[in-house]
Amino acid sequence: MAEKKTGGFNEGKRRKESILDMSKYMDKQIRVKFAGGREATGILKGYDALLNLVLDNTVEYLRDSDDPSKLSEELTRNLGLVVCRGTALVLICPHDGVEAIPNPFITQ
Amino acid sequence: MLPLSLLKTAQSHPMLVELKNGETYNGHLVSCDSWMNINLRDVICTSKDGDRFWRMPECYIRGSTIKYLRIPDEVIDMVKEDAQAKSRNRAEMNKNRGGNAGQNQNQRGGRNGNRNNFGMRQGNQGQGQGNRPLAQGNKPRK
Amino acid sequence: MDDLNPLAGTAHLLEEVDKKLMVLLRDGRTLIGYLRSVDQFANLVLQRTIERIHVGNEYGDIPRGVFIIRGENVVLLGEIDREKEQKLPLKEISVDEILDAQRREQEQRQEKHRLVSKALKERGLAVNADIINEDFC
Repeated sequence: MAEKKTGGFNEGKRRKESILDMSKYMDKQIRVKFAGGREATGILKGYDALLNLVLDNTVEYLRDSDDPSKLSEELTRNLGLVVCRGTALVLICPHDGVEAIPNPFITQ
Repeated sequence: MLPLSLLKTAQSHPMLVELKNGETYNGHLVSCDSWMNINLRDVICTSKDGDRFWRMPECYIRGSTIKYLRIPDEVIDMVKEDAQAKSRNRAEMNKNRGGNAGQNQNQRGGRNGNRNNFGMRQGNQGQGQGNRPLAQGNKPRK
Repeated sequence: MDDLNPLAGTAHLLEEVDKKLMVLLRDGRTLIGYLRSVDQFANLVLQRTIERIHVGNEYGDIPRGVFIIRGENVVLLGEIDREKEQKLPLKEISVDEILDAQRREQEQRQEKHRLVSKALKERGLAVNADIINEDFC
């Protein structure tokens, strides 16, 4: 049975409204973090109520080879068009406006 | 006052969220739901080891990945006042009903009066309160 | 009865409300504060919380305020005995000192781990860094 709804608009009436309105990110570049520590960025092409996402031009950030605990901004691989499993998502944010900054907390 | 009611009351307030993976997020709570999923705005993300930082305008965090949230001290007082008002209302209602008004139905009374109220309180108390900045201590550890 | 009670299983936690409790988290951190609320998932609200850091027989307390803790991250939770609290066989030191001690302890542990990994590698045994990182994301 083909799922006709794209982009996950009104998922029936009884469904509780999600606190996240993914429609505002449609065709925009977003950044996602996954359980397990992977991170990627891509252009949102679709989503459903379970937060499964379709991302295009997806780029995954890879781990630093000499310090595997850190992700590198430079070391990446292209994944192209992907489906992200909603259950594995930890965080979603718009890609624009995300920037590395020096320590903003005053120490001492 | 259930933990999630307190979180709801903390809407618009600054808070610190630590995820199970050790990352912390400082930002203002925009919204939350009954799964503890949250939206934050004006966020600063800190890496697990506390030596790298990112600014992000907003972010959505899945509730199941949260370790804990730290909220400003005053938010807990806002819930207490609200709970007291509620139990006062209930006492009024019992009085009007007469009968067993003398019996202490709310044995713990006062601030705790609301604890056995399983329905989530729907009031949007806490909204529109000032967005006082809070010195959320950063992570000096590790 | 229990089937009707949405708090079944956490009922005994309700007994601890408003008491001063120690909470040990899965990441090893120790929090001490007044339990104000509990729900059916054993999510907790702690007020006037301090984080207590132990290194050897010294400890330091960092004031942390109000916590909402997701229940699944709690290892154990117990009431603080006021009398026993008075005669701890431990020495309290300042926050700066304990953080310093903690950092030194951590560095020692990392150094030891580095040596172990190196030794294992030389013997042809690969160690999975993720497991050692204690990540449980």
